Formats: sequence, C-alpha cells, structure tokens
Amino acid sequence: MVRNASVATPEGRAASSTRNKGLALGVLGLVAVSITLVSSFIAASFVGDGSRDQDLVTLAAWGFGIAVTGFALAKLGIAAVLSSVLVAVKDRAAAAARAVPALMRHPGVRVPLPEVTGTTPFGRANATVASPPSLLIHRVAAVMWKPALAMGAMAIVAGLSLSLFQADAEGSTAVTLSAWTQGTLFLGEGLLLSGISFLLGTILGVLRAGGGRVQEDAGVTVTTLALPTTAKLFLGFMMAGLMIEVGQFIAYAIVATSAAPESVAGTFALLGPIREAGLGLLLAGIVLALATIAKVLGFQFWRLEQIVTGSH
Amino acid sequence: MAATTTTTRITTSRGSDRYDVSTHAPAALLPQRIGARLWFPMLAMALMAFPVAIGLAAGRSAAIDDGGSATTIAALGHYVPAAMFLGFASVFGAVAFSIAWILGVFRVGGGSLQVAARRRVQTLRMPRTGKAFIGLMAVAMMTLLGAVLAHVAIGAATSTGSLALADAEAWAIRLEGIRRVGVSVYLLSIGLGLATIFTAVRFQTARLDGLVAEAPSDGSIA
Repeated sequence: MVRNASVATPEGRAASSTRNKGLALGVLGLVAVSITLVSSFIAASFVGDGSRDQDLVTLAAWGFGIAVTGFALAKLGIAAVLSSVLVAVKDRAAAAARAVPALMRHPGVRVPLPEVTGTTPFGRANATVASPPSLLIHRVAAVMWKPALAMGAMAIVAGLSLSLFQADAEGSTAVTLSAWTQGTLFLGEGLLLSGISFLLGTILGVLRAGGGRVQEDAGVTVTTLALPTTAKLFLGFMMAGLMIEVGQFIAYAIVATSAAPESVAGTFALLGPIREAGLGLLLAGIVLALATIAKVLGFQFWRLEQIVTGSH
Repeated sequence: MAATTTTTRITTSRGSDRYDVSTHAPAALLPQRIGARLWFPMLAMALMAFPVAIGLAAGRSAAIDDGGSATTIAALGHYVPAAMFLGFASVFGAVAFSIAWILGVFRVGGGSLQVAARRRVQTLRMPRTGKAFIGLMAVAMMTLLGAVLAHVAIGAATSTGSLALADAEAWAIRLEGIRRVGVSVYLLSIGLGLATIFTAVRFQTARLDGLVAEAPSDGSIA
C-alpha cells in the first residue's frame, strides 16, 4: 500500500481542493451559457415582430454579457486546475530529486550528454555542470500570471455590468454601451487566456529548474533541452493575440466616443471577428505551450532513464 | 506478446486511484496516440480558418458600409461564423489533443523509468476525469461542427433566395446560442483533461517515493 505523499501534505491537500474548485467553476460557466441558449431561442422567436424589437435588443445585450461571463468562469476554472498542476509538478520534482540518487545503478558516475546539436530524440540539449539559470520568460510568467488573471476578472465584471446597463438603454446610448461592452468583455477574455499562458510558462520554468536540480543532486552532467521551436512560437502567438485584444478594445473605445451611431454597423461587423481571431491566436499559443510541455517531459523521462541505468 | 497484469489499489488520503501492476512499460492508449499525431494538423487547420473568417468579415463590413445587397450581407453573416468556429473547433481540438499527448508521455515515460529502475511497473488507470474529458470533447466538437455545417447550409439557402431574410436572422441567433454551449463544453472538457494531468503527476510523485523503499523486481508482479 503506498501513501500518496503529495496529497498528504498541506500544499497537496490545498492543490486538490483548488482543482475541485476549478472544475466547479467550469460547470458553473456551462450553466450560465446554457441559460443564454434558452434566451437565444426566445430572442429568435421575436425576429420579424416589430413590436418586440426592443425585447430582442435587450435579450441580445443580456445574453452576450452572461455568455462571455460564463466563458470567463470556465477559463478561471482552467487556471485554478493549472495552478494545482503547478504545485503537483513542484512536488514531483522534489520526489524525483529524492529518489533518483537511490535508484542509480552506478551512483556518482557522471553521465555526460554529448554537446552536439541534434543528439537527443527531442532536439538540441545543453550540458552544464550546475543547473542552468531560469530564463527571463519563465521569471516574467511566474510574476505575471496572477495579475493577468485578476485584471481579466475585473474587466469581465465591468463588461457584464455594462451589458446589463446596455440591456435597458435605447438609441445612441445603447450603441455606445454596446461598443464599450464588447471591447471590455473581450479584453477581459484576452487577459484571462494570457494568464493561463503565463501559468503554462511558469510550469515550463518549474520543469526546467526541477530537471536541473534532479541531475545536480544525482551528481551527473546537467543536460537541459534547448528552447524548442514550439516555445518560441508560443511566445509569438501569445503576444500577437494579446495585442489584438488590446487593439480591439481601443477600436471599440474610438467607436463609442466618436462614431455616429447609424454608421457603426459595418465597423461592428469587422471588429467582432477580429476580436474572436485574437482569442484564437491566444489559444494557438496555449496549444504550442502544451506541446512544449509534452516535449520537455519526454526529454526528462529519457534523461532519467539514462541516469538510472548509467547508459551513455 | 502481452504481459500479464493484475489490478490493485493505491490508497490516498482522498479516496483511491486504481492502477495496474506489470513487469513491462505500457504503451500509450489510443486517444493518447491520436492526440500526439493530430494536435498539429488541428492547429494548422485553425490557423487557416481564422484568416478566411477575417476576409469574409471584411467583405461583409464593406457591403454594409456601401449599402450592398441585403441577401449578400445576410448570407455572409452565416459564412463568417462558419469559418471562425471551424477555427475554434480546430484550435480547441488541438488543445485537447495536446493534453492527451501529455498524458501519454506520463504513462509511457513513467513505465519506462520504473523498468529502468528494475521495479514492478505501476500504471494509473484512466481516472473518471479522463473518461469525462474524452466524452465531453467529442460532444463539444460535434456541437461546433454541427453549428458550422448549419451556418453553411443556411448561408447557401439565403444567397439562393430559398430562405427569407428574417428566417436567416432567427437562425443566426439560435446558432449563436448553440455555438456558445459548444465552446463552454469544450472549456469544461479541457479543465477535466488538466485535472487528469494533476492526478497523473500526483500518482507519479507517490510512486517515486515508493520506488526507493521497494526492492528490485524479481520479474514477477506479486
């Protein structure tokens, strides 16, 4: 019978609890969005009925605000689950540092990795005597994930409030509030996805530091995978996505403050897909971050096998 | 040749995780192998769909500003979300496939490390969150692709004049609600996939601690 050490610690129990709360937020988000599914079917029945035009506008504004808030809850849930994964990955690195020296068939024998490019099945690796220092992007990610999530949540609350005001407004006021609502809510969504990206960057940093520590404690040459192409692309997509979300917020602000209400339909028709494509780029960055994690983990298992068996 | 496996239980402070004991490292499960192969094609498809959607949106925006045909504007109002949400279905699929790939790396790598350490191989069985992750991901993908197909069909019917403009607008509103549910289910499934990673990492941490205390395997699983 094996006691699960990482759950038995206070940090492990807290991480488990955070994971469960994250999943609960995901379910709550789905419930909120399901409510707007009903409202959209009701709104569709008002189309063509001139006496219900204002009801249609009200339901659209209200439904948009609730739906995007539902997405935000689900994303906060994902962030909560990821933060529990972060704790678990730190615990795993500590456990590996404890276990590997005892499991080595030839303790104390340095297992060098040739410093030639392309010698591992996972790409280039750098060999050093001590653990490599953390990269700037990992340090930035570790500092930024909480503020990004907090700013995103605040923007969502502000956008939801605006959408509720918009639901009761008419004429040019409704158009102005609509622009502010859309811009603010999608800025919030962009910040939340950026927070999730920073969390993934933090996990990558912990994997890098933990992998180095395990090898250093085992007394072998520290080999670290060079920054994979997926990691470089991840940064590019994340920055592009966030810039688009900031840009769409500015564009909506300009529309809200200076455009004539009767001339905004064409602008809204373009800005809507642009803000969605910005989120798409942020999600593409998240895919690449996950792919990088898979690649780094594969490399680490391969390296641990080398260390334990003493093979070159 | 398949090695014999038996199933035992690992006790935790919050219930129990089922795991298999064997003398060999397990292979990745089918969803994990699919994930490792398909994440990139799905990402590429998404990155092609987004510019198409932006191009169609630019055309629709210009038609609105220039006082273009109401039929064209309404039809494009369906083609734009069709392209955009084909992209979202693909990029969310790529996220889910990447998570499955990571779970496969944990499964195969964890097993290989235990073999290298000459210990019996303990492999976590797929937790309930893992099963729910796969099921909800399939539901979400079908929901979004169904909405995309419906948008294309309604757009085509609108442009040929076989569907009234008011009906096209009503369908746009209904499909928006369906798309939102699809996205929300996708997000929940991704959360469940990440929760499964948490369970796998936690299991491996316990196993690493257990390896040291355990005697090297004599080749049996008893």
